[in-house]
Amino acid sequence: MKTGVKITLLLLVTTSITSLLLGTFIAVMRISRSRFLRACGTLYVEIFRNIPGLFWLLFFYFLFPELLPPEIGAKLNGYLYYPVVAGILGLTVDNASYVSDILRSGRLAIPHSQREAAISAGLSRMQQYFHVLLPQMYRAALPPLGTRMVHNFKNTSLCMAITAPELTWATQQIESLTFRGIEATALATLFYIALAGVMITLIVTLEKILKIDISSITHSRS
Amino acid sequence: MIKFINTNKWFNNRHILKNINLDIAKGEVIVICGPSGAGKSTLLRTINKLEQIDDGEIIVDGMYLSDPKTNLTSLRAEIGVVFQQFNLYPHKTALKNITLAPRKVRGLSKKQSQERAIKLLERVGLMHRKDAYPVQMSGGEQQRVAIARSLAMEPKVMLFDEPTSALDPELINEVLDVMTSLAREGMTMVVVTHEIGFAQKVADRVVFMDEGEILEVGSPPDIFLNPKHPRTKEFMSKVFHIPVFGDAEEE
Repeated sequence: MKTGVKITLLLLVTTSITSLLLGTFIAVMRISRSRFLRACGTLYVEIFRNIPGLFWLLFFYFLFPELLPPEIGAKLNGYLYYPVVAGILGLTVDNASYVSDILRSGRLAIPHSQREAAISAGLSRMQQYFHVLLPQMYRAALPPLGTRMVHNFKNTSLCMAITAPELTWATQQIESLTFRGIEATALATLFYIALAGVMITLIVTLEKILKIDISSITHSRS
Repeated sequence: MIKFINTNKWFNNRHILKNINLDIAKGEVIVICGPSGAGKSTLLRTINKLEQIDDGEIIVDGMYLSDPKTNLTSLRAEIGVVFQQFNLYPHKTALKNITLAPRKVRGLSKKQSQERAIKLLERVGLMHRKDAYPVQMSGGEQQRVAIARSLAMEPKVMLFDEPTSALDPELINEVLDVMTSLAREGMTMVVVTHEIGFAQKVADRVVFMDEGEILEVGSPPDIFLNPKHPRTKEFMSKVFHIPVFGDAEEE
C-alpha cells in the first residue's frame, strides 16, 4: 500500500510535468505560422485525444518495446519498473493532447494587440512567446488546465492494467491476497479524495494569486 | 528620417493607402488627422511593418523596409509605438513592463534596466505606481506607462496611434503633457490624433488624410484655419462646429 501511494505520486508528479511540457510544445506548434507545424500539431491532438488513454498504456507496455530494436526492447521488457515507465509515457501522450488544446484556447483569449506590442518592442519570436504570450496563455487557461490535471491524476489508476504497482493495483493485490478488500479500498478512496482536494486547493489558490492578470486579459480584449 | 515613396496598400480590393509620398525629417512632429477609415492608423503602422505595403517603398533611418536583408527586429527596436488601447503586458507590473525589452533586446542588466525604468516613471509622474499591475491603473496611467515603456528602448522615432482616444476626457491632458514635453526635447514623432489643440501647439506639420489619400500637408494654422482642399474644409468645419469657412464672411 505504501509503495502504491509512492508510485501513484511518482506517476502524478512526472506526468503532470511532462504532459505540461509536451502539451505546451504541441500548442505552440498549433498556433505557429508554419502550416506544416500546425498540421503536425493538429494530427497529434486528433490521434491522441480520440484514442482512449488506456489503449496508450497498453500500447507502450506491450507494443512499444517490440517496435524498438530487439536488444533495447528485450532490455525494456526485463526492466522491473518498465510498467511504470510505460505508464508515464502513456499518460503523458494522452494528457498532453488535452493540455495542448486547453492552452490553445488560452492563446485565443489573448488579444492580438499583445503580440503587436511585443513585436513593436523588438522582441524576437522566441522572446514574444516566453515573456508575453505563454505566461498569459497559462493564466487564461488555468481553470480548465487545473481540472485536466486532476483528471490526469485519476487516470494514474488506469496503470493497474499494465501492472504498474500504483495505488489501485496495490488495493487489488491486498484484496486478492488477504481478502481485506473493503479496508484497502476505503483507504485508497480516502487517499484519492484527499490528494485531489489538495490539488484543487492549490489550483484555486494559484487562480486567486493570478486573478489580477486574468481579469486584465479579459479587460483589455476590447 | 522616414520617407514614403509612392506607397500603396490594398486590402481585399480596397485601396486603403493611395500613392503616399511623405518625407519626415529628424526631430519633426507630424500629426496625421482625418475621418475614421481614412487610413491614418494603417499609414502609421506601415512604418514599423505591423502592416505590410503592397507597392512602393518606405525608408526608415536609412533602412529600406521592402529589402529582405533589413533586420526587422532591430529596426523595430528603434521605433517606439504607443497604441490606442495601451497594450501593456497584463501579467507584469508597471516596472517590469518597462524593463522587459531593454533587458531582452538591448541586453541591459537587471539593475541598469531598472534604473532607466525608474527615471522614466519619475518623468511620467508614476514612480508611486511602479509595482502596480495594468488592471490596477487608470487609463491615463496605463498610457503613460506605455509611453515610458517605449522610451526605455531609447527609440529614434515614436509613433502614437490615437493615444488618447480610449481615455476619459479628464485623463487626456496628463498623456498629452508627456507627449508635449517629448516633442519639445526634439523626438521625431508621428501622431495620429483628433486632439486639435495638441496638434496646434506641438505639430511642425499636419497631414490631412481621407480615403487612403494624403489630401493636404501644411503647418497647423494652414490646415486647421485655412484649408485649401474642399474635403479638408468640410472636415474642419465639422470638427470646430462652425460654418464652412467660406460662409464665415457672411456673419
